[in-house]
Amino acid sequence: MEGFGVSLAFWILTGVTLVAALGVLASRNLLHAVLFLILLFVGMAGYFVLLSADFLAMAQVIIYVGAIAVLVLFAVLLTPRAGRNNGETRMFLPALLLCGTLLAIILFVITDTNWAVADESPSVTAADLGEALLSRWVLPFELASVLLTVALVGSIMLVRSREEEAEDAV
Amino acid sequence: MSGLIKSEPFTLNIGPQHPSTHGVFRIKVKVDGERIVDAEMVMGYLHRAMEKLAEERTYTQNIPFTDRTDYLASMSNNLGYVLAVEKLAGINVPERGNAIRVIMAELQRIASHCMAVGAFTNDTGAWQTPVMWCFRERERVLDLFEMTSGARLTCNYMRIGGVAFDLPKEFEPATRRLLADLPGFIDEIEGLLVGNEIFLARTRGVGALSAETATNFSLSGPMLRGSGIAWDIRKADPYCGYEKYDFQIPIGYQGDAFDRFIVRLEEMRQSVKIVQQALDALPGGPHSTQVPLALRPPAGEAYARVEGPRGELGYYVVSDEGPSPYRFHIRPPSFINLSALKEMTVGGTVADAIVVLGSIDIVVGEIDR
Amino acid sequence: MHPFLITDNWYDLRDLGNLSGRLLELLDDALPFGLVYVLAALIGFAASFLIFVLPSQLIVGVYGERKLIGRIQSRYGPNRVGPFGLLQPVADAIKLMQKEALTPKTADRALMYLAPIVFVAPCVLLFAVIPFGPNMVFADIPVAILYFLAVSSIPVLTTFMAGWSHNNKYSLFGAMRVVAMTISYELPLVLGMLGVVLFTGTLALQGTVLWQKELDIWLVFLQPIAFAIFFISASAELNRTPTDIAEAESEIVAGYLTEYSGMKWGLFYGMDIGYAIAAAAFGVTVFLGGWTLFGLEKWVPPWIIFIGKTHLFYFLFIWTRGTLPRLRIDQLMTFAWKFMLPIALLNLALVATERMFWIEQEADDSIVYAFAIINIIAAAAAVYGWSRALGYRPEETPLRPRLVSEAGGFVPLESGGEGAT
Repeated sequence: MEGFGVSLAFWILTGVTLVAALGVLASRNLLHAVLFLILLFVGMAGYFVLLSADFLAMAQVIIYVGAIAVLVLFAVLLTPRAGRNNGETRMFLPALLLCGTLLAIILFVITDTNWAVADESPSVTAADLGEALLSRWVLPFELASVLLTVALVGSIMLVRSREEEAEDAV
Repeated sequence: MSGLIKSEPFTLNIGPQHPSTHGVFRIKVKVDGERIVDAEMVMGYLHRAMEKLAEERTYTQNIPFTDRTDYLASMSNNLGYVLAVEKLAGINVPERGNAIRVIMAELQRIASHCMAVGAFTNDTGAWQTPVMWCFRERERVLDLFEMTSGARLTCNYMRIGGVAFDLPKEFEPATRRLLADLPGFIDEIEGLLVGNEIFLARTRGVGALSAETATNFSLSGPMLRGSGIAWDIRKADPYCGYEKYDFQIPIGYQGDAFDRFIVRLEEMRQSVKIVQQALDALPGGPHSTQVPLALRPPAGEAYARVEGPRGELGYYVVSDEGPSPYRFHIRPPSFINLSALKEMTVGGTVADAIVVLGSIDIVVGEIDR
Repeated sequence: MHPFLITDNWYDLRDLGNLSGRLLELLDDALPFGLVYVLAALIGFAASFLIFVLPSQLIVGVYGERKLIGRIQSRYGPNRVGPFGLLQPVADAIKLMQKEALTPKTADRALMYLAPIVFVAPCVLLFAVIPFGPNMVFADIPVAILYFLAVSSIPVLTTFMAGWSHNNKYSLFGAMRVVAMTISYELPLVLGMLGVVLFTGTLALQGTVLWQKELDIWLVFLQPIAFAIFFISASAELNRTPTDIAEAESEIVAGYLTEYSGMKWGLFYGMDIGYAIAAAAFGVTVFLGGWTLFGLEKWVPPWIIFIGKTHLFYFLFIWTRGTLPRLRIDQLMTFAWKFMLPIALLNLALVATERMFWIEQEADDSIVYAFAIINIIAAAAAVYGWSRALGYRPEETPLRPRLVSEAGGFVPLESGGEGAT
């Protein structure tokens, strides 16, 4: 997957992703920010395609664009004044500091790491992924599943108890 | 879930321009998500001051007004009005006139119920198909009206003392053909919708009114019968010789939208039976008695009621011996049936409100007059 | 070799894939790099437009649908413009382009303009992975099923954009309903698809078709539950009638489309049909054997078989649209979560067991026929049993009113009445 087309695709994707990322930050309209975020997700999926990770790319779109973005949209719907200007907050400076530090760390790691370069792109199919997840990485996989289940049950429990309280209050 | 997430109810105007308000009628609903927490009816967009206008016209001139109150059941409205005036003036109608009136009123009931059933299913989302099927049959009834009175919608056919014209000779065979086809058509609609899971899910338990509530709101017609009350003016207070005909009153089970729907379907079947009997025993003789054009009834008041397609359709006329009524008042069934709307919609969803509104079968011309 | 069998030669136009492959080879040698892709894209676009998009979209999609719905509703449908009214879609398009595209003053202009445009792109992308014939697939990527599911989740966001941008309460209702519905229906859809993928062992669409061809069985028989779930979820996500609650013309006045007019509305309308046809094509490929038809594909151009099947599948959408009323949103949600999801999980467990048995026992391929019988019976049992378990009792609901002969007061339920059924 080398050549002019791939490079062109890479630069276009990079442009789109960067613009989307800046849009998320700069947009005062909450809904616009979410839509930029979705564009960012799609751009990331594009990177996965360029890296010959088809399955990951599709999973990225299904999970992030199809499910998580929709959940975020739900959150936006429940936010008052979502469509109007979101003004300055007092958290501006701390947030800037935090993000600056994070950026510095990431840049440092990137420049400091000795990246291994593969001669040809490895072909990992969905079947390989499944095989690996269920044999070599079965313990982390199952742990992650249990963790997600716990989170699910926990959130339901949180909602339930409050509901009962609300009923008691009435 | 409500109460957990802080939500603000917001106001939604259903109408005056909305595909499901069947005219210019507006419900101001307050919704919390999809749930309706409050509903307010706003009407009067179609007000034409008919009752006041009628005080300036002669008794005969008022008949066309009655066409235009409930424009989907002009024959029934004509009938209610002329009955009131006849009662006031003490006029007797010949046998044949009464039989023709019964035929026309029952055909009108079929036409109007076709419209009600079709529009109602359209409100549940059955995309136009039942409406078109119902219109197909309604057209044939309207053809019969055109044949006799010259008009399809606003017939202006009943006269004080009888009916305007005798039946043309093509009327009887055409009506018999229609009567032969109608039961099949009703079965067809029933087959399409009544057993349909989605239709049942949408209409069962929606807008249910107990018999007590229905009586307290003084509902009438299919709304009342849907709630399980056997009440029909044709049986309880017969007019035009309805006591001679053999028919039954369909009543529902729990007073929901579905019960009103099946009651209407069954009423169409019963109407077919009545028209059949009336045609079989159609007496000869004159169709009308001679009544002076400038009728001056003795001073007094009269109230006559008929079982219109939408319920008890009453006309109240007061005379001061003048050529025009001193007071003219209509008891429009769908106006009074509509008063229970808030009772039926609050607590349901917006989609339910539309179904409930369809099941009342309102005609805005009659509500606003 | 029979003279009428379809060959792999480039001049055998019954499989257009061979010709285009040959063309690409030739051009690749003659042209500088990169240009060949542009040329191929142009040629491919023109060809697919002529043989597929135009007939499907305009004739079957717009004209055929209106005509069929008309027939269902006992009327004629379009019959004025052109012979048999065939030019009606063209006339509609011209009318739409001439109309003024209104934008409400308080609308979010950028989103309102963007939404119809973004709505178009995924529809075109969807067809990229659909195999029209043995050599006629634009991109036979190994994760095509996932690709299809992923790309088809994008239009939901555009409908949300459209509904939000209008600043209209009815549109907002539509947008909220779209979002809620997608969350609910994506899940059973993916679970149903998992059953299929477990059986075939491939995520590629061409591979799925070849698997069905090799075993001589369509997946609809092996996976009746998955097929039903696919059909229902697809019609829910496409906003077709029994589940068109996001548009719901009689309730929320076309929902997210309320404020659109002119060609902006036209794009939504046209692409709705496009998505429906794409869903039909996907359903045919996965469940109904794609371009195969019990050996007939050796003689008849496979793409004709495929397009025919697709349009027959699309007819199912038209049919349901013409006859069924609309569900309420909470009923639709309940159906997805309480009915389809558990059944999809049951189906998945059954498939996994069968697949395990097949591999472990090293059974003969003809065992799929046994599986098909088992699965059909299991599907019927699951649907019946689960609906009973959820409390659905069809026989307890009287469908005819009671009849009484005399007017009186309230008739209690116990006393019945005459002729109660």
